[in-house]
Amino acid sequence: MKILKNLFSPFTTLPRSIYWVVVVSQLILVLALWQVFATGGLIPTPLKIGEAVIRIVTTAYFIDNFFASLLLTLKGMGISIIIALFISYLSLVPFFYPFARFVVKWRYLTLTGLIFLFTLLTSNGSQLKMSLLVFGIVPFFVTSLLHIIDEINVQEYELCKTLRMSNWQTLWEVVIVGRLDQVFEVMRQNFAIAWMMITMVEGLSMSQGGLGTMLIKSNKYIDLSTVFAVLIIILVIGIVFDYLLREMRHWLFPYTQLQVKKK
Amino acid sequence: MTTTYTKEELILKAENISLQYDKLILRDVNFEMHNIVRPGMHQGQVLSLIGRSGIGKTQLFKIMAGLIQPTTGTVKVGVEQQPVKAGDVGVVPQNYILFNHRTIMQNLEQGIANARVKKSAKEQEEMIKEYAAHFDLTDHLKKYPMQLSGGQRQRVSILQQVLTGNHFILLDEPFSGLDALVIDRVVELLLKVSTLDELNTLVIISHDIENSLAISDSAFVLAKEKDKEGATITQKLDLIQMGLAWDPEIRTKKPFIELVNQIKYML
Repeated sequence: MKILKNLFSPFTTLPRSIYWVVVVSQLILVLALWQVFATGGLIPTPLKIGEAVIRIVTTAYFIDNFFASLLLTLKGMGISIIIALFISYLSLVPFFYPFARFVVKWRYLTLTGLIFLFTLLTSNGSQLKMSLLVFGIVPFFVTSLLHIIDEINVQEYELCKTLRMSNWQTLWEVVIVGRLDQVFEVMRQNFAIAWMMITMVEGLSMSQGGLGTMLIKSNKYIDLSTVFAVLIIILVIGIVFDYLLREMRHWLFPYTQLQVKKK
Repeated sequence: MTTTYTKEELILKAENISLQYDKLILRDVNFEMHNIVRPGMHQGQVLSLIGRSGIGKTQLFKIMAGLIQPTTGTVKVGVEQQPVKAGDVGVVPQNYILFNHRTIMQNLEQGIANARVKKSAKEQEEMIKEYAAHFDLTDHLKKYPMQLSGGQRQRVSILQQVLTGNHFILLDEPFSGLDALVIDRVVELLLKVSTLDELNTLVIISHDIENSLAISDSAFVLAKEKDKEGATITQKLDLIQMGLAWDPEIRTKKPFIELVNQIKYML
């Protein structure tokens, strides 16, 4: 009875085992409701989607498309984070500050309207996809990175001054090295945006395949079981990468685990 | 307690300091400090600046550290009496800021890296280990700041500043948030730091009158005068002359208790 009461009380912490019971129960409930209400309708049932997932992941066609998407995402993320870090660190130099703030505003630009411009600027489909992906991700990266820099306690800069560090040494110690773990966290959080964008940009040049291409083709033939199966696969891969990046952050920066424990 | 001592050269002088933002924070702050010499020992100086919360102590602290410029006036430090600039004076802030991404050893290395006197890597390591032992930090050198208690972080913060080779160390509210037992250890540690070198000078900025006075040889009260804007030094106490310095049992002495009460009333 007490557990039941705790389930619906704010600010109570559930034991880990109870938490997982709640998660699994809710999942089963949702799937059961979905199965009941979707049977005989247009939306495929979870069972049909499950069958489609098994069918898809065992084909070479999926493996090729999966690696095409993953490679493009990782490459896009790598290039974007380097550009975003460069812009963010430069924001501390007064001359470059307005430019960095302007990049933040690019989040509100829609990529669709820029496709023609990027088609003119790039020489093939692969370059077009990469450019759009990078242009789409960089403003989100810069926004998160500038927020991290804004949040730095002024006393950290003062500490560097009292330790006779130069301004460049202070930038290195406090902003670059001192916030590297948070850069990793930004990458983890923005991986979701990159992963979401990938399906969109892949639709622009379908010859190189990718999960986005799979989705568009399945949509075209109203193969909804495959559409939902690909969506589930995209979701699961996203969650796995989120987990891997989080674990990698703890491994590379052991003190981040201490901060989590203290909370 | 009668002790032979002399006051020698001027080592700290704050002259006509004022600070104005939207309103006047500090007004005509003037004080100075001389090197106190006692035969047969390294006698550093401990000065307390006592004032109520929000009176402008931290702003004065930053001016003395060269971290902000006053609206008027100058602070001169050292025997050469040069205007203070950031890096001339060590700072131990109230919340003991350290580099959280570095171990304690690495934090201390940051302190010694740009020290006044350059040392080889081996000498630096030996010096850190020697001081860490004095500061009871040997077992914590491989830990991260997040793994230490408030008192331990404070010791690291003080040691980091000692390793820079600065003779002046400013401490902002060093007794704040510590329990009575830890405060006694901090007092002991501060006295140890002050006597490491003849010219070592600690400036304690605090609202904790009793603990600050107990280890000081001079104290200034920072307060507002009636009908005047901005805080200024309203009282200067030469605790040596008053016979209230360098006595480990001072807290139990009646004149000391009376002085504490008198200052409490003034604030």
